[in-house]
Amino acid sequence: MEFAEFYESARDDCLRIVLLNVGDRQLAEDLVAEGFAKAWVSWRKLRSYEAPRAWVVRAALNANVSRWRRHRHEVVLDGHDVPAPADDGDALSGELMAALRGLPLRQREVVTLRLLLDLDTETTARLLGIAPGTVGVHLHRAAETLRSALPHPADQEARK
Amino acid sequence: MNDNSVLGAVRDSLTAAKGTLTETHMSTPVDAIVRRGRAARRRRRLIGLTGTAAVAASAALVVGLTGVTGSAPTNRRGTIQTMAFTLVSNPNGTATLTINNAALLDPTTLQNDLAQDGVPAMVTSGSFCFSDPAPTGFSHVVSFYPATAGNHVLPPGEHPHPTVTFHPAAMPAGTELSFGVFQPSSGPQQTAFALINSSSYRCTSTPPSGASGDGGALFQTWPSARDLQVHRPR
Repeated sequence: MEFAEFYESARDDCLRIVLLNVGDRQLAEDLVAEGFAKAWVSWRKLRSYEAPRAWVVRAALNANVSRWRRHRHEVVLDGHDVPAPADDGDALSGELMAALRGLPLRQREVVTLRLLLDLDTETTARLLGIAPGTVGVHLHRAAETLRSALPHPADQEARK
Repeated sequence: MNDNSVLGAVRDSLTAAKGTLTETHMSTPVDAIVRRGRAARRRRRLIGLTGTAAVAASAALVVGLTGVTGSAPTNRRGTIQTMAFTLVSNPNGTATLTINNAALLDPTTLQNDLAQDGVPAMVTSGSFCFSDPAPTGFSHVVSFYPATAGNHVLPPGEHPHPTVTFHPAAMPAGTELSFGVFQPSSGPQQTAFALINSSSYRCTSTPPSGASGDGGALFQTWPSARDLQVHRPR
């Protein structure tokens, strides 16, 4: 597959997944663009990978952490540097989304790759360069955190 | 709720949330992504060069401090010399390559050395990559010495050290050089050159029989007599 073809087929999906992770539309677009730019640089190798889309999402999430590290010493002014209000409705708000964004990067990567991109444990482990057992440990810890943020079944019934 | 139930519920919630984002589309065009990628690659090369220069400076300092007065370095500044090739970085920004066809060429080494000279190239052995249609401008990017026009065969031994000069500044945005080396069991070593689109190309293990348009050239060197045949684009 050529890069342009891959980009066309994967860009919206990657954007939506990263958007769920960061909650800011503009930031998500920039991070995904960065992820795809890195993919373009490594396309010779990446084109034969089993999950290039997951590679891009992971690069985008890592780029977000790098960006935070670069800017963490900057002074935040009142009313500035606040994520733009999402125009994507309830999808990005709620306790579960907040809990997802509060997870440590590695746990968030595992949750995203396993649950949103449907990768199996072995592929996730290979992509992250960790042991399959470690994927299970991160998933277990993430589940512990996310458990309390899940909407209560009674609340869901009430909404219907 | 055990882990599986929790993760199943999280998966359902996330999938549902993602499903509501159908109106969310990536607006960045692919050209902008490629430009960003090229800029990142340039930065990475610059960092690599800076690192190499720092290591070289450290090494020179160590030699100076220890007072070692060994023989003069084999390579003068701006020249990389291996058994298989010599690559000279010229003051005008071009790079000149001389291939020693008596030695086996290591594609990775040559690719890395060309990159250090600012020549983005994909060097392969036993295969060759090309774009169809090929980007224009090849004749501005690559020149041969002796210069040839059309199909041209030089008499044996007349030019034992043919050279190729690269002009990286003339490379159109989004392109790089493809450089495929074939060593048949008999006959000349063939090196095929082409300008390719970085984001759109195909590779083949069949040596090209010639090049067409302004897309490339085929360079043939005979290991024994060091003859040179250059088939220029028709």
